[in-house]
Amino acid sequence: MFQVILSTQWKWARLPLLLATIAAFTIPVLSVQGAGGSQIQGAMAFRVLAAMENWAVWYPLLAAAIGLLLAVTAWGPDHRQGHSYALSLPLPRWQYAMLRLGAGFVLLAAPAVGIALGSVLASATATVPLGLTAYPAALAIRFTLAAILAFSIFFAIAGGSTRTAGYVLAAMAALLIGHRLLGGGAIDIDVVGPILERLYDFRGPLGIFGGRWMLIDV
Amino acid sequence: MFDRIDPRSPTPLYEQIAGRIRVAIAAGELEGGHHLSSVRQLASTLRVNPATVVQAYRELEREGFVELRHGAGTFVRGVSEQRKKSERVRGAAQLVRGLLAEAARLGVNGEDLRTALDHELGRKVP
Amino acid sequence: MSDAIKTQGMWYRAGPDFELHDVSMSVPTGSVYGFLGPNGAGKTTTIRLLLGLHRADRGDISLLDRDVPKDMPDILQRTAYVPETPHLYPSLTVAEAVRYHGAFYKAWDESWTDELFDRFSLPPNQRISKLSKGESGKLLMLLALAQRPELLVLDEPTEGLDPIVRRDILGTLLDYVSEQGATVLISSHLVHELERICDWVGLMDQGRLISEMPMQQFKNGIKRLRIIDPPGTYDNTPFEVLAREPVNGGVPGEMILVQGWSADMAGYFSGVGASLREVVDLDLEDGFVEMLRAYRAG
Repeated sequence: MFQVILSTQWKWARLPLLLATIAAFTIPVLSVQGAGGSQIQGAMAFRVLAAMENWAVWYPLLAAAIGLLLAVTAWGPDHRQGHSYALSLPLPRWQYAMLRLGAGFVLLAAPAVGIALGSVLASATATVPLGLTAYPAALAIRFTLAAILAFSIFFAIAGGSTRTAGYVLAAMAALLIGHRLLGGGAIDIDVVGPILERLYDFRGPLGIFGGRWMLIDV
Repeated sequence: MFDRIDPRSPTPLYEQIAGRIRVAIAAGELEGGHHLSSVRQLASTLRVNPATVVQAYRELEREGFVELRHGAGTFVRGVSEQRKKSERVRGAAQLVRGLLAEAARLGVNGEDLRTALDHELGRKVP
Repeated sequence: MSDAIKTQGMWYRAGPDFELHDVSMSVPTGSVYGFLGPNGAGKTTTIRLLLGLHRADRGDISLLDRDVPKDMPDILQRTAYVPETPHLYPSLTVAEAVRYHGAFYKAWDESWTDELFDRFSLPPNQRISKLSKGESGKLLMLLALAQRPELLVLDEPTEGLDPIVRRDILGTLLDYVSEQGATVLISSHLVHELERICDWVGLMDQGRLISEMPMQQFKNGIKRLRIIDPPGTYDNTPFEVLAREPVNGGVPGEMILVQGWSADMAGYFSGVGASLREVVDLDLEDGFVEMLRAYRAG
């Protein structure tokens, strides 16, 4: 059973998965390009850190994106026909959902391998200035876990009825946009800020997404 | 043989099927010992409920035209010439009864019917 | 197990204007049960309730002696479903769809599947979305039969298909039924098709099951009678009078539509000073139409 579920999910997610894997490989490699130059160790270190920081934002974004895309492709075909086929199969609904979730985890191996290879290659070929260290393993693991978390959350949302999923995603978008607007304006109200801070704080459930995503760091 | 099985006819389907076989036996088309199609095959070919075929075969067995051999299938029984003749006579009577009922419905009287019958019988069948 | 499907007092509100009322149906094991009714009568809704795709508001439902919806996975292992609208994944090929489906059923028969594949001459590498209506219909029947079910629930399986494809599908279905003794519930608009293959018939109209009986009984029992000198009212009849229609011109009389007729009831008419001139058989379609008309009138 798992085999056929995996093969259908793979068929539906092939393209985004391929793109995400390539991206996961490329980002660390690109981040170490043009971070060298000066012979003065201090200046070089500064430049390397700056480059790392510039690229840092892409990791959590990619992890969230691949999580979302895998979740949408996992449930998409079922949603389109009101889950009629899935509900007529001889297994409990929760079991079916678990199989699709597991298949998603297996598929996440591809971008995980991508980032692992990319980080290792990038840190091997880069000149790491004195005082800084490369953390390819930590970055790769963190990315993979973030992708798994994103996938699980979006999977749970997408697995509900189309209407519920729509509501939840709309609420999330409104929250984020609202936070942006309120923060940017002169208004001093920040309701969303503290909530998001709690979520993104390293102790919070989305903690893995916050903080520093640095291939090379102090 | 079975190409005009009609569910719309007032005659039940099993009777239509049995009737066709009976006629074929009476006319000598089906000889004694002939192996009839299995219930499954005939039901599938005619697209009728298998129970209908079973009923038809049972009816024929009751009348002595076929025998159901357990495990082997249904076989036509050797029927005497006398029996075949009486069956043909019976078939003719049935046809005439139907014709007379139809004639009554259409307002055709016996005299006109007889004339038409003689005329048509005299004609060569193309 | 005497009934493959049994519902008792099933109620379901499908929308603001439509409700299934107190549906109590019994499909005997081994029968081919024809489910008839006009569009919008509630046949598809009833079928979906039987398969646990909707939850009834009230009532008991059991399939193969197991409880719906409690024992659903077990029931679905032994029950095959052909829906009104095909629900397979459009991006899969035929071969992939068959492999996918087969993985879920314990009784799946690989060699039987191959045989059916050839019999229906389906193109294995064609995408589901590109199949013709006929190929789609054949594929759904293939999937239903390959599962080797004890019960088949078919919602308009031959709707919109040409006669040759219909013949293939129904012939193969009957072949399986003869071999396995499976039970079939089949809903269809093609009344004459059902007339051939069904030995039970259930009539549904406006959310209610208005009649359920053996096919033979239904066809034999409903007749049009031509009566001369009819009485003012028909009292204490051994049969049920569904409708009366005066005959225009000629001898004064009327046509009455009756249910539950048998030949020995002819004596009734002389008893009320009338005479029975003719007994007209109705085929299933006419019988069904008359039954509906009578039901809606009174």
